[in-house]
Amino acid sequence: MNDVLVGRALAKRFGQTVALGGVDITVRAAEAVAIMGPSGSGKSTLLHCLAGIMKPDDGEVHLLGQRIDAMGERQRSALRRTRFGFVFQFGQLLPELPAEENVALPLMLGGVPRVQAVRQAREWFPLLGLHQMEARRPGELSGGQAQRVAIARALVSKPAVVFADEPTGALDQQTGQDTMRLLTEATRHNGACLIVVTHDPNVAAWCDRTVEVRDGRLLAHGVTA
Amino acid sequence: MNFDLTWRLLKGGGRRGMLGTWLTFGAVAVATALLLFAVAANVAFDARADRSAWRNPVAAAQKDAAVAVEASRFDYVGDQAITVVDLAALKPGAPAPPGMPHFPAPGEVWLSPALSELAARLPADQLAKRYPAPKGVLGPEALVQPEELVAVVGHAPDSPAMTAERSDDWILGKPPVKVATLAGTPSEDATAYQVLALIASVLMVVPLLVFGGAAARLTVARRDQRLAALRLVGATPGQVIGMTVAEAVLVAFAGALAGAVAFGVAVPLLARIPIQGGTWFVADLFPNLLILAGVLVAVPLLVGVSAVVGLRRVVVSPLGVAKRETPPGMRFVRVLALLAVLAAFPLLTRGTSVAIVAVALGLAFLCLNLAGPWVVGLIGKVAAGTARRPARLLAARRLVDDPRSAWRTVSGVALTGFVAGFLGLLSPGAFGGDTGPAQLSVAAPVGEVSKVADQARDRLGRAGITATVKTTKHTVVAALGSGADDVVVDRARTVLSDLVPGHTPTTKADDQRFGLQILADVRVGTIVVLSVSFLVAIASAGITAASSVLDRRQTYALLRLAGTPLEVLDRARRAETLIPMAVMGGGAILVGAFCAIPFMIGGISTTGVVTLLVCVAAGFGGVIGAGALSRPLLRSVTDDPAPRPD
Repeated sequence: MNDVLVGRALAKRFGQTVALGGVDITVRAAEAVAIMGPSGSGKSTLLHCLAGIMKPDDGEVHLLGQRIDAMGERQRSALRRTRFGFVFQFGQLLPELPAEENVALPLMLGGVPRVQAVRQAREWFPLLGLHQMEARRPGELSGGQAQRVAIARALVSKPAVVFADEPTGALDQQTGQDTMRLLTEATRHNGACLIVVTHDPNVAAWCDRTVEVRDGRLLAHGVTA
Repeated sequence: MNFDLTWRLLKGGGRRGMLGTWLTFGAVAVATALLLFAVAANVAFDARADRSAWRNPVAAAQKDAAVAVEASRFDYVGDQAITVVDLAALKPGAPAPPGMPHFPAPGEVWLSPALSELAARLPADQLAKRYPAPKGVLGPEALVQPEELVAVVGHAPDSPAMTAERSDDWILGKPPVKVATLAGTPSEDATAYQVLALIASVLMVVPLLVFGGAAARLTVARRDQRLAALRLVGATPGQVIGMTVAEAVLVAFAGALAGAVAFGVAVPLLARIPIQGGTWFVADLFPNLLILAGVLVAVPLLVGVSAVVGLRRVVVSPLGVAKRETPPGMRFVRVLALLAVLAAFPLLTRGTSVAIVAVALGLAFLCLNLAGPWVVGLIGKVAAGTARRPARLLAARRLVDDPRSAWRTVSGVALTGFVAGFLGLLSPGAFGGDTGPAQLSVAAPVGEVSKVADQARDRLGRAGITATVKTTKHTVVAALGSGADDVVVDRARTVLSDLVPGHTPTTKADDQRFGLQILADVRVGTIVVLSVSFLVAIASAGITAASSVLDRRQTYALLRLAGTPLEVLDRARRAETLIPMAVMGGGAILVGAFCAIPFMIGGISTTGVVTLLVCVAAGFGGVIGAGALSRPLLRSVTDDPAPRPD
């Protein structure tokens, strides 16, 4: 039983627009999958359905054999907090909190005492090349540094799956490459799966395989590396 | 051209953009309405001082210019005071007093509508016999307030009432004075109330100005991104400032107009607040057109200036607002400024000038406003250091990040809290003490004490009132016994009313009435000021909460997507207001209560404590409620499953 996250016949409509038209997708243990597609293709909708952010109109989502799309909002919210990690394009860090507290926040939300949460959070900083950045606030970090803090936050609670939505969209080419290297390495090191939504082939190249979404359907499955 | 572009951007801001505009509009409307109330309080007390001035005679500068003799004193019925004005014409054609068609002839009695009605309602031996056969009813010009009890009694210039010696203690009345006109001058108690009103206004105006400024920054907070973008495409600082000021002033002017209308609608309700023993003439609460125009110009100007200050960073650098850095620490010099003013306060207030005292008080409050954010920042640091749960940590970090914003919400409550705490516990017993069994005392002329005592015994005996009449050096005292109720006391007052011309027989409670009245009025005033402060805090908390949700909608949405429970975000927002309010507002109230302990001779005032607690509970509840109002907004912005397109 190697399948960690499974989406079966996922369908989602927004009014007359079909965002997903019956998508099947399976993500295996420690696998990195890139979801590519042009704007409006439905790739973010697919990510939201897989992450339990959005309920599909039809189809099922299973995490380690447990069906999650039928769960209530509170359960799915708890699931996202404990079993999933998220990295977005920007705007995800709380500007008032120093970097280490931003990273410690998911642990604290899970009931870990603050001192322990911050100690665990600090362990991620040297791993991600963020030496001496613990006390800095997001506004004092570069875009790449802020994304690495976000990666640390996504991984700190040891999730089963990390979802990254255009994680390098706001970064220059070199910083984007560095960020992807760190994201894939750290995720793999943590034993988690990685699902990356992107329209950039250079980003997708860091993943084990790529799936392409067009008009709400998967076009191709391919091994990237 | 700028104005045209501003108008287009204002209209095209979308629903959320317009929400920011509406919030500014609402904030300015509330601030203007309350500001007008603070100004109106002074106008109203000035009007009362003017209305009562004719009873406070000023001696004619030249003897031959005098046209009349005037004196005033207080009489009592039940627990109400009656102002009695004794008048005697020295020349034919003496001017008519306010509210009367002509100068009263000797023996003529005129009563105010309330006194007339009371005299008709009570048995004659309790009141009406003191003022027999009234000639007419006084018009409102003669009265300080609609329900006031006033009697005007005409005398001959040589009648004993106008020639007998009287006390010159202004609490008891005014001795006969030859006057050239009946214009008079504001009395000492009216002046005391004017000073108290001025202090109350300062207490209300400072937080209101701070709040008005905050409203402007709300506009800027909504617009800073857009204006920074304009700078990036080449708009000059002048153009950016022009557009911001135009937008802020436009919205603020509309808000100020709405606030003025709201104030006008509320005036009949405000007129029911009892001070000085009665409610108000509605007309007295309306500031004149000049003041109204001044407020309507000043508020948008203030908002415009605050908007410019808030935009400094955008103007300095187009990227200025894009980066959030660790805010520079508040300088301790803010606290030093407060300490310096407090040290100089006793010297500044040594002078008797009301203006200097008001300026000193205003200066102290402004410095308190300077030091307030520093203290809030300190509270934030302490709270952040000790926070164990995420909600508290988020709230504490927000306080450290922007202590000024938190201070704006709680400043009014903190400023008023001390006074409220001080007066809330103070018992009227502190000014009075036990009044003992009912007895009436009246000052007798030197050498006539025994004769007056005999007359008192005779009159009381004939009226069937049991009393023991004793004398002291200058006073005749009729002890009515512990069984005497208000009816017996009033009957005895009536019997003894003209025993000594120009002197009123009074009980111990009557003698303490002014002190008790002013304590009660200060307490009402404190509740009013505290209510206004809480209203400001409630409005501020509501607007700050909504503004905070809008400002951070993307972060909130992403946190919620990542599984952060809505309750945690909500608790953090609540704690952000409640921590500084509980520490600063609650602290100020406790310190005030602590300072009142030495004065609690008569024990703690239960009514005062209950009133204070109800007021504080309602205020805190209101602040929490105002913050909770934006919870649906928080839910709606965090429910958005797609924080970006696609």
